[in-house]
Amino acid sequence: MSNHNPETERVERPYTESSVIMTTVRVVAPFVFTYGLFVMFHGASSSGGGFQGGAIVAAMVLMLAFAFGIEPTQRWFKNTAIVLLATGGVLAFLFIGVGPLLLDGTFLEYSAYGFKKAPKYGIEGVELGIGAIVASVISGLFFAIARGFEYTEGQQ
Amino acid sequence: MITLLEAALLGFVLVSAVATILLRDVLAAIVAFGAYSLGLAMLWLTLQAPDVALTEAAIGAGVTTILFILTLTKTVRPSEDSVFTPINWPAAGVAVLFAGALLWTVPAMPAIGDPSAPAWADDVTQFYLESGYAETGVENVVTAVLAAFRGFDTFGEAVVVFAAGVAVLVIIREEQFT
Repeated sequence: MSNHNPETERVERPYTESSVIMTTVRVVAPFVFTYGLFVMFHGASSSGGGFQGGAIVAAMVLMLAFAFGIEPTQRWFKNTAIVLLATGGVLAFLFIGVGPLLLDGTFLEYSAYGFKKAPKYGIEGVELGIGAIVASVISGLFFAIARGFEYTEGQQ
Repeated sequence: MITLLEAALLGFVLVSAVATILLRDVLAAIVAFGAYSLGLAMLWLTLQAPDVALTEAAIGAGVTTILFILTLTKTVRPSEDSVFTPINWPAAGVAVLFAGALLWTVPAMPAIGDPSAPAWADDVTQFYLESGYAETGVENVVTAVLAAFRGFDTFGEAVVVFAAGVAVLVIIREEQFT
């Protein structure tokens, strides 16, 4: 299409630098991050868990991007960190699950670890792994959408 | 019977759902959809399902809304004069019929708190509730079932989330997110 309608022309993302939003996010973000970790850890004793806590931590990343712009947030939360977190979460879950097999237990049989309250710590470790996966994949999706991609002719 | 609060929340959810469908402007529809999710989260809370409510509020009302808005800034947003979108009556009729068929089955469900409800009277449920604390040392039985008794399923779920991230990278033909 060569004749563009200016009404429907794609507009560049309107990032407005607002000192109100930046100050608010600067104050709120650490609390949101702590609350996300709390929901992950404390899922064993109250409502919550890895999926919910991970989403809250990812919400903090989205909030920072909202206040300070997506580009600076990306520079801070690099792609390698995102990928490492996601794979690290899967591997942590896997190793916690496989560990008991080496100790004559079955897959994910936390009590085979032997130490006191092993199931509780096992569950908390697993929740932390899930949280890492969820937080990194949500932030990754956010950055991927924000960057966008062009479909070029000739791609298969 | 449902309380006044539940009735108000149900009404709010219904109105925001209809608003999501009918609003012509995409941004307005996204905002209405966020309100719908938030109403649903509060409804889960009144039904004593705080774990589900947390997920709904964080994912449904929070992350999904932001991802939708972000997608909107990447696409065109035609300016419209009309507030509401014209209704497709055949489609609306099918939707009403389908909703009616689903609502027809509601009386067959056991009442909330019914001790003879299949989900409660089941031996497996009773086993989880009775031995959950003793075997896992975890006070939230939902977490005990999720991460201990059904830990294998949860591992599958976690891998699904991971696979979704990898699949997006495959689709956009990139080796990295950023």
